Amino acid sequence: MTTVEDAALDAPAPVQPWWQRLLRDPAALVAALVLLVIVLCAVFAPLIAPHDPYASSRAVMKPPAWSPRGDWTWPLGTDGQGRDMLSRLFYGTRLTLIIGVVSVGLGGVFGSLMGLLAAFRPGLDPWVMRIVDVLLSFPAILLGLALVAVSGPGAAPVVMALAIATIPDCARIARSIAVSVMKQEYIEAGRALGLSDGALFLRYLVRNCISSIMIFISLRFGQIILIGAALSFLGLGARPPTAELGMMAAQGRDFLLYAPHIAVIPSVLIFVIVLAANILGDALRDVLDPRLRS
Amino acid sequence: MLTQIANRLLISIPVLFGVLLLGFGLLILVPGDPAIVMAGPTATPDVVEAIRQEMGLDRPVLVQFFSYLGRVLQGDLGRSLISNKTVVSELLAAIGPTAELMVACLVWSVPLGIALGTLAAVYRGSLIDRAVMAVSVAGVSLPIFFICLMMIHFVGVQWRLLPFIGRGGPLWTVEGLRHIALPALSLGAIFIGPVARMTRSSVLEVLKLDHVRTARAKGLSETRVILKHGLRNALIPVVTLIGLQAGYLVGGAVVTESIFSYPGIGRLAVGAILSSDFPLAQGAILILALGFILINMVVDILYALLDPRVQA
Repeated sequence: MTTVEDAALDAPAPVQPWWQRLLRDPAALVAALVLLVIVLCAVFAPLIAPHDPYASSRAVMKPPAWSPRGDWTWPLGTDGQGRDMLSRLFYGTRLTLIIGVVSVGLGGVFGSLMGLLAAFRPGLDPWVMRIVDVLLSFPAILLGLALVAVSGPGAAPVVMALAIATIPDCARIARSIAVSVMKQEYIEAGRALGLSDGALFLRYLVRNCISSIMIFISLRFGQIILIGAALSFLGLGARPPTAELGMMAAQGRDFLLYAPHIAVIPSVLIFVIVLAANILGDALRDVLDPRLRS
Repeated sequence: MLTQIANRLLISIPVLFGVLLLGFGLLILVPGDPAIVMAGPTATPDVVEAIRQEMGLDRPVLVQFFSYLGRVLQGDLGRSLISNKTVVSELLAAIGPTAELMVACLVWSVPLGIALGTLAAVYRGSLIDRAVMAVSVAGVSLPIFFICLMMIHFVGVQWRLLPFIGRGGPLWTVEGLRHIALPALSLGAIFIGPVARMTRSSVLEVLKLDHVRTARAKGLSETRVILKHGLRNALIPVVTLIGLQAGYLVGGAVVTESIFSYPGIGRLAVGAILSSDFPLAQGAILILALGFILINMVVDILYALLDPRVQA
């Protein structure tokens, strides 16, 4: 027979708050710091950029300052039109991040709502899942090509394509999370208390699903940034002279032999953003919701 | 088995319908009057009027859609505005190179990914495991165009090892192989990471199962246990993964072909969009979407063939 003391000994150690567990993972910590710095640079671009990102100068294709021909006036050198790379990077990161956040946000909200409604109203479920199936059969880059074909190149059709591409996965994951929440006793208790459908949906279902859904969306963020950058690289996204990281890399393509930094620096920055987002997303998932692991 | 394949084909019908709707939408939603766009900037009003009647733009949208369906099913996708060749002939010329590129990419990246993933699982927690996992996380974070540019810069320009523009000929010729090497290496590079990761977790799962313990108890060598009893069963989720990654394969092919000026469907699509060649863009996007559906269908059927448990 177990005594009270035994039971106390068997009880699991008190769980640390999630952010303390996250901070103990050095890779996640570094990723979070790197992302924070990048986001701050993007937000405060107009304040910290040393030059006008659109002003060309005669100092064309200057290498970064640390190379023999470099000059600290342009810390990361200049591009093919003599524009300051560092300032363009700040602004380019801004647009790249905005495209990623807006499209993941829009797609995430629509997709999650579809999935949650499918779980809340089983009558809607087959319809929602058919729509999801059809959407799943269009890879993001194809949606991008199609929308750009109709409206012409620009950031807006790219955002729309990326948002639509986020919907089906999000709807599926939200539905599977919501279905298990709907089986919980507190949902039944809420019904028994005579709560309206709206209150039940918002206060009981959405609140209990939202953190898992948010983690899933954060795991998608890196991929969305990559696809957006690829579309811009192909000349289908933001129009010149606007600075966007993918497009900046494309502009450096012609000078690869003489001034590799023009293509390499924006590409490496995209890599760092996506890598940090992926590492942080993985770590958040492991700490907050290991169920999503599969 | 046959019923499963038939079921799988049935599921594809609404999806195909959606794809065709998209193709139709592309032609109808084009800004301005589609007839003027189709006729091109130098056309006379008579020509525009003739095209309008031919396309049936004066009729209700639903009628237009079904006549579009009828034309597509008969293999009539219109003519390119730039080259004036039929869209179908342009697409037919580009399908082969794209298929070759995809095969050349998968043929080295999937086996390598499986090998790396198996190594990581067998030596779990070791330095090899960590290295493989680090490379795979880094690999899924690299922009594909960056890999392509670095391949061109180092292998193509600085070391002069391989050509990096265009296609040298069919895959079975030396020039064909030399030309496809860099695009296939670049495109495959984004595949190794996901395949290695999935193989690793799948092998780890399988090695815990009873039949593996039995195989060990029989006194089989560890290599034999892992290869015959572990890996073979672990490959099923890997096949599914390749289906899930088909979108990346198609998207990656679009980028890779454009950078290496490789004459496939992806480059055709991007070029057509940038030059407002709507009929060609529409045809290329249709074919890419069909290819994506086809890959997924083949993967699902393979999945059923590989795993006798999938009977429901």
